[in-house]
Amino acid sequence: MGRQVCVASAGFSEHASKRSDVNMPELVNEAIVDCLKRVPSLDIKDIDAFVNGNMPAFEGSNIPELWMTDWMGARNKPLMRVTTGGTTGGSVAIAGYYSVAAGLPGVDNVLAIAFEQQSQGDTSVGLASVAYGEISVMNSLGIPYDQLTLLLSGGAAIGIASYQATNYMRKSKITEEDLARVVVQNRHNAAKTWWAHLKMPDLTIEEVLDTPYISYPLRYGMVCPASDGACAMLFTTEEKAKDICDIPVFVNGVGSIANETALIGYGGSGSGQLDLSEQLGAQKTSEIAFNQAGIHFPRKEIDYAEVYSPFPNQELMWVEKLGLFEENTATKMYETGVTALNGELPINCSGGVNSTNAIGASALERPAVAALQIMGKASNQVPKTVHTSLGHGWGGYVNLVTMMVMADEPVRKY
Amino acid sequence: MNEKVIVANKGLIRADFNFWVGRYLDKFYDNLENKKIVGNTCPKCGDVFVPPRKICGKCNEVIPLEENWVDLPETGILINYTITPYKVNDRAFRKVKKPQTIGMIQIDGSNTALIYRLLNLEPDNIKLGMKLKVEWEENTKGDPSDIRGFMKI
Amino acid sequence: MEKVGIVGYNQVKLYSDANYGRYEMIFEAVRGALDSAGLKKKDITTVVSATNDYYDGRTISNALTVEPGGGYLADESKVEMDGAHAVLYGLMRILSGNHKLAVVWGGSMASSFPYHTARLYETDPIWERPLAYVNDITSAGFQMRAYMEKFGVSAEDIAKIAVKNRKNAAKNQLALVEAQNPNLTVKDVLESEIYADPVTELMVAQPCDGVAALLLAPEKQALKITDNPVWVIGVGYNQETYYLGERDLSSSKSMELASKMAFNAAGVKNPLSEIDVAELFEAYAHEELILSEAIGFTEKGKGASLSSEIGGDMPINPSGGALGGNPPCATGLIRIIEAVKQLRGEANGYQVKGAEKAIASGQIGLCAQNNILYVLEGGN
Repeated sequence: MGRQVCVASAGFSEHASKRSDVNMPELVNEAIVDCLKRVPSLDIKDIDAFVNGNMPAFEGSNIPELWMTDWMGARNKPLMRVTTGGTTGGSVAIAGYYSVAAGLPGVDNVLAIAFEQQSQGDTSVGLASVAYGEISVMNSLGIPYDQLTLLLSGGAAIGIASYQATNYMRKSKITEEDLARVVVQNRHNAAKTWWAHLKMPDLTIEEVLDTPYISYPLRYGMVCPASDGACAMLFTTEEKAKDICDIPVFVNGVGSIANETALIGYGGSGSGQLDLSEQLGAQKTSEIAFNQAGIHFPRKEIDYAEVYSPFPNQELMWVEKLGLFEENTATKMYETGVTALNGELPINCSGGVNSTNAIGASALERPAVAALQIMGKASNQVPKTVHTSLGHGWGGYVNLVTMMVMADEPVRKY
Repeated sequence: MNEKVIVANKGLIRADFNFWVGRYLDKFYDNLENKKIVGNTCPKCGDVFVPPRKICGKCNEVIPLEENWVDLPETGILINYTITPYKVNDRAFRKVKKPQTIGMIQIDGSNTALIYRLLNLEPDNIKLGMKLKVEWEENTKGDPSDIRGFMKI
Repeated sequence: MEKVGIVGYNQVKLYSDANYGRYEMIFEAVRGALDSAGLKKKDITTVVSATNDYYDGRTISNALTVEPGGGYLADESKVEMDGAHAVLYGLMRILSGNHKLAVVWGGSMASSFPYHTARLYETDPIWERPLAYVNDITSAGFQMRAYMEKFGVSAEDIAKIAVKNRKNAAKNQLALVEAQNPNLTVKDVLESEIYADPVTELMVAQPCDGVAALLLAPEKQALKITDNPVWVIGVGYNQETYYLGERDLSSSKSMELASKMAFNAAGVKNPLSEIDVAELFEAYAHEELILSEAIGFTEKGKGASLSSEIGGDMPINPSGGALGGNPPCATGLIRIIEAVKQLRGEANGYQVKGAEKAIASGQIGLCAQNNILYVLEGGN
């Protein structure tokens, strides 16, 4: 039952704050063209099925893949749309994996696509509607106004992230400087990634700490940008991958465990009983994905990681919660260069979500970069050989998590 | 980068969305402002698209931006129509005063169809295959509303 | 394709304005499905939901449905399409060997949002949407006219389908009360209010509130859970191009290709003789004819000649179909559930005698741009 799944390629569109030279379908097309460039023997017509997703409210379009069918090359092809908020990209990747793993007749080459053109809409409104929805719709649903005010104080993603940051800082006793250090590493890495958005090769910790607070402890210079961009990833069977690319990347473990929303705060505002830096969902997700991939000591066995961290405190938290580092030690790893490009366990060498955030695409870009690092084809390639890597995503009310563990050798389940 | 924007109607989400139209449609809308209809052709199958687009979905072929443009007439034939008493973009789905006739019009020389209102046509006089002509707005803005609708020739 | 078992199901009663909350409804559907199979929350390994951010009026609609949908600390995901597409993802998860019990649920509350306006947001925002001439209703007008013109089908033939389905719905306890009418006539349908000529009110599947849930398990587990499983033996899904002017609206290319894929997997050569009952997602009366032709029950344009009532050559939508109530994101899932009921002999009041093999379909998009078809087989 089931079969081995490989990543054969991945591609990106150029990311910027305004890709006003293209419309949504054209942006998506760019990523697909870049993805297929790496597998010259494969034509778009050889794609058997598609998985697609974005965050529809940010875009102002419902189920936009209906409209972009032709631009994806999906005319008269099977297509499935998966959206789960911030984890959309990760969920799309996992759905791509399952599309191949299921072994449906005639479905071998599956293209997973995620995108966002955030410049088209007011994203903070979209993000705030994570919390409060559209006001008139709320009225018709009979949601009371007191909840609304509470949610407004939650203030979209940055609101939730600040609660999370203060919780984490208190527990692990880190300073704002430690947060800034993560940002600097990311922005330096982004400068060497062709498709990244915020490229700042000369940024210093002092410069970051010089910017004003948006919401304590997060400063303007620490938060992710809102980007326009798209990403595509090609999943296929082991046999086909060996034919079309040099180094097939095996998907050995996937997981997407949902934590509860009820305790995150009244209506998900982040002010509730649950400590947002606990992340039971993330711990369970990594447990399951590592277990499938036969990884028992992630710190030793994982060579490269892409974690989803729009805010620097999250990067520190995730690498601990996913089991890459011991609790409360992450900041030391950033200080001593363990996580740098030439370090022992490089993290986010693409610059991460902190430097480029086209929300729907972000969680797909994580496994995409992680796979390219194994192939040796990443834009900011690490010097050491990468055998195993992981791509992670979070979304929802910080209660949804996705993770994909990949390697150059398969774990034989089938 | 050119920054052509169309503000789509407000509605379900109370935020304005400004959609980038891309270079192909940008050229199309510039022409529309000058009361001209242009399309582009797939270099492989020869299908003519109005509005123009980057990809031919049938052939999966990229149509180069600089080439394959076609000037089209402002006449076409009616290939389908429907009559609705409802306001399509209304939150409460209210009715309009007079039922609107919405037609699918294939511009002569193209392989696609535009969906616009049919003006001054009583339901009894509508026949599929009839010849129609563009009725322009007086003051064009370079957006889809420059075409007010289609009239019988 | 390996067999996957459907081991439990539940659907809440459909209401045009259900006087209770969305989360209660989800819980009722999912818990009911688990109860129907004698299972507990701890048995769930994965949950796939079908909701839509626009229909639910909030971004990330699945973030708040984790607990009622049984997804707490389970491997969870959301398909933003029809419930029938969520079943596909559940199926893939089971087929991969990673999961032993999948809960699939889908639904929404159409009473809480302007459905037809939400459908306008599916249109191309840089060309068609600002003009606001195309939504689900007007595109159905185009579709019905294209079908009638191409094949010379009369409006009466199409009204007959509405009559049949609404009469069938009258026998289905869970159908929408407003849709149930045992005494409906063709004249009533044709003389009901015009929505988009030639489509009239009674030809349209009325959006309503409802949630449905289904349990999937691999063959071995399924046999342990129930002695009456229904097997999914084939599935096909497909999407055709978007622009209405470029599509042949008189037929359904995507359903032709989806059914080909499903029948290949299931080894069905002659659908008309091998299939005993069909549950199709017809958003409008004429779509039932277009879809059944695309599936291959009759030649194109001859769908109306098929006797599709209960007891006919090919009973289609004995439950009343989508015309018996159309809760967005649940309708296709309910079609699958109805097919399962037929195969298990549990369709009280509208049972097709001796049904052994059934098909069920789901769709999304204007004029059914994306279709999915399942072939199901009874366990006995």
